[in-house]
Amino acid sequence: MNFGEVLQHMRVMTLKELIQFRRDIFLLIVVVYAFSADIYIAGSGIEMELKQAALTVADYDQSPASRDLIYSFRQPQFKYQGMEMSGQKAMDLLDAGKTMLYLEIPADFNEALLSGKPTQVQLFVDTSNSVLGSLATSYAAQIVAGFGIQKAMERLSVGGAMGGGLPMVNSAHRVWFNPNGSDRWFVPINEMITMITMLSIMLPAAAMVREKERGTVEQLLVSPLTPLEIMLPKVLAMTLVILIGVTLAVYGVLGPVFEIPFRGNMLLFYVLTAIYVFSTAGFGLAISTVVNNLAQVGLMVIMLLSPMLLLSGAFVPPEAMPTALGYLILLSPMHHYIEIVMGIFLKGIGLDVLWPSVMGLLLVGTAVFAFGTWRFRRQFG
Amino acid sequence: MNWARFTAVIAKEWAEITRDRLFLGLAFIVPPILMLVFGLGMNLDVEDIPLAIIDYDHSPQSRDYAYKMIDSRYFDFKGYLHDERQIAKLISRGDVRAVVVIPPKFGEDLVAGRSVAVQTLLDGQFPLRANIARGYIGAINANYSQELIANFLSRAAGLSPEQARQQMGNLRIEMRMLYNQSGKSIWSLAPKLVMMVLMMTPPLLTAVSVVREKERGSILNIYASTVSRAEFLLGKVMPYAGISMVNGVFLWALAVFYFEAPFKGSFGFFLLATAIYSFTTTGIGLLVSSFVKTQIAAVVMTMVVTLVPAILFSGMLFPLSSMGPEAQAIAHLAPAMHYGQVVDGAFMKGIGLDKLWSSVLALLVYALVLFVLAHRFFTKRPQE
Repeated sequence: MNFGEVLQHMRVMTLKELIQFRRDIFLLIVVVYAFSADIYIAGSGIEMELKQAALTVADYDQSPASRDLIYSFRQPQFKYQGMEMSGQKAMDLLDAGKTMLYLEIPADFNEALLSGKPTQVQLFVDTSNSVLGSLATSYAAQIVAGFGIQKAMERLSVGGAMGGGLPMVNSAHRVWFNPNGSDRWFVPINEMITMITMLSIMLPAAAMVREKERGTVEQLLVSPLTPLEIMLPKVLAMTLVILIGVTLAVYGVLGPVFEIPFRGNMLLFYVLTAIYVFSTAGFGLAISTVVNNLAQVGLMVIMLLSPMLLLSGAFVPPEAMPTALGYLILLSPMHHYIEIVMGIFLKGIGLDVLWPSVMGLLLVGTAVFAFGTWRFRRQFG
Repeated sequence: MNWARFTAVIAKEWAEITRDRLFLGLAFIVPPILMLVFGLGMNLDVEDIPLAIIDYDHSPQSRDYAYKMIDSRYFDFKGYLHDERQIAKLISRGDVRAVVVIPPKFGEDLVAGRSVAVQTLLDGQFPLRANIARGYIGAINANYSQELIANFLSRAAGLSPEQARQQMGNLRIEMRMLYNQSGKSIWSLAPKLVMMVLMMTPPLLTAVSVVREKERGSILNIYASTVSRAEFLLGKVMPYAGISMVNGVFLWALAVFYFEAPFKGSFGFFLLATAIYSFTTTGIGLLVSSFVKTQIAAVVMTMVVTLVPAILFSGMLFPLSSMGPEAQAIAHLAPAMHYGQVVDGAFMKGIGLDKLWSSVLALLVYALVLFVLAHRFFTKRPQE
């Protein structure tokens, strides 16, 4: 068998896959949706920070000082929602999720601040979302502590007398690569990576299992095609489809809508994306050798994809992983790919910095693809 | 609706499910596995953020301050840097995620009673991590400042250090953390996981089971038979809704006994809501199946329309209150959010139907609308 013949086989088979893909109009619509509207929806409006947490207050003091304190809980983190003196009604509001914080200011508040007697305010926080809960409690603690210090200064009339100077350590923050620190860039990029990963496992697996289920794989096996010539074109065709989808996502959504600065080399991005899709398809091929119908494909993909999404640093920072899982992350090609994409899009770095991630991607990718191929040849060879 | 024909469709579907051993196994194994992986892996208590420090001052005060950072369990101290030019490379590579720069004259200024700005450079790639790191550094600075001010006061106002501290700390705040006293993320996570996992598999299984018949042609038997559309669709859904309910109970048991999440509500209420939710999720699958013709399209479509909203818009990772109006609207349209409120209430708040009836009603309406739509779009006279 000569090289030209192989190329001819591959070309024809790849074309066959593309034609088959094009004829499934709903599949086409879903893939377009996944790379456009889905990313847009995910990216618009999702943020993981404390914003406008509703604050209800029972102010038994009604003094300038208590109003001052309430005023210190200000936007954007907090939003004053109103007075509610009845404790029972306040609990109902908390139960129903209508308010997140409930602050009780005692009647002796103003007096205590003037005289220096100890006093305390009580704050009820809905911590059923633990991240938000801990952010809210720490902000509130800082606000109240700052308020107490300020009042103590006024009372002892230092501060003013000393010309306003106080020995304090203030924080000046500078956030790199994402100056306003918003999720507006992070979430849509992540969403695109999720879609790439999902489709690059699913599409080749489905394309293969469909042949099994319909029985057309028998035809392929009696044809003069080698197992690799059956398998590779499926991966090639789907890689091509996904790369077109990625182009739509990058230049149709991420760039124009979310104004993500593509600081790095886009050619490098495409080359590495192609490698990523191609090697992740190895998971799909491995799955296709184990299962017999598409329902099973769906379940297997969910079982593989969900942990991968979660543990690769797409939703949870890798630093939050328990140590053992932290090492497991290194085995996920998606983890390396996220670092690469974020690096190229936001940090504008090149191969000189990214090479450990690229090496990781290549190593894991090669292993996965080799495994898929091995399983496939054993089954159909 | 004819009861005999309806049960016959269920029996046929159930036989098909049980004869596919791998499928049957996966249908019951995948949900608990997902629950375990997410429950163990999704730790939102971010600790050990890699940190580096540049100390331009080299005074006792600056060393003292640096140790506050180094000793903190929230940071993993990677070492001192000597040159700001190193920062760019380290942060780009992800070797450190935060750098604290202590300015020259740090100690001198503090002793003289002047305030000092310490600069922190953060890697903004992952906004959540950057925000958390910023919060930690802010808290450390606030604590450190409080000590400094107390010392300063004692000198300025001529008080003893204890008196000064007492004066400063006369206003206290007492925090009462409701629903999740320990602030453990798994407690708030476990109920949400039940919601998410139950959203992942049932729609997929239902959609594929209908489309498979279309693709294989066995649906022609249904077209030609006396089975009505409603009997067929409901009969198809029953086994999958049943599997989903059984899984719901398994997941509940995992949440309560393995993750030890508190369950304060009534189990009956949880079951009722889970049953309705199961019909809602399978209804999504049914609706998808009435559009698509191939199983690939069915699988991809259900995954895109269920998985993503379940993770993003259910309030699991991203709180609803901080979403923009657009996203809030989408979240309210997704059934996952309503069931999420139900499980949250049943687990952590111990409230039942009397307070959560609107969420349960939303789920019910959702299920009904899905079934009506699926019934409307499913036809026994396909035009091709």
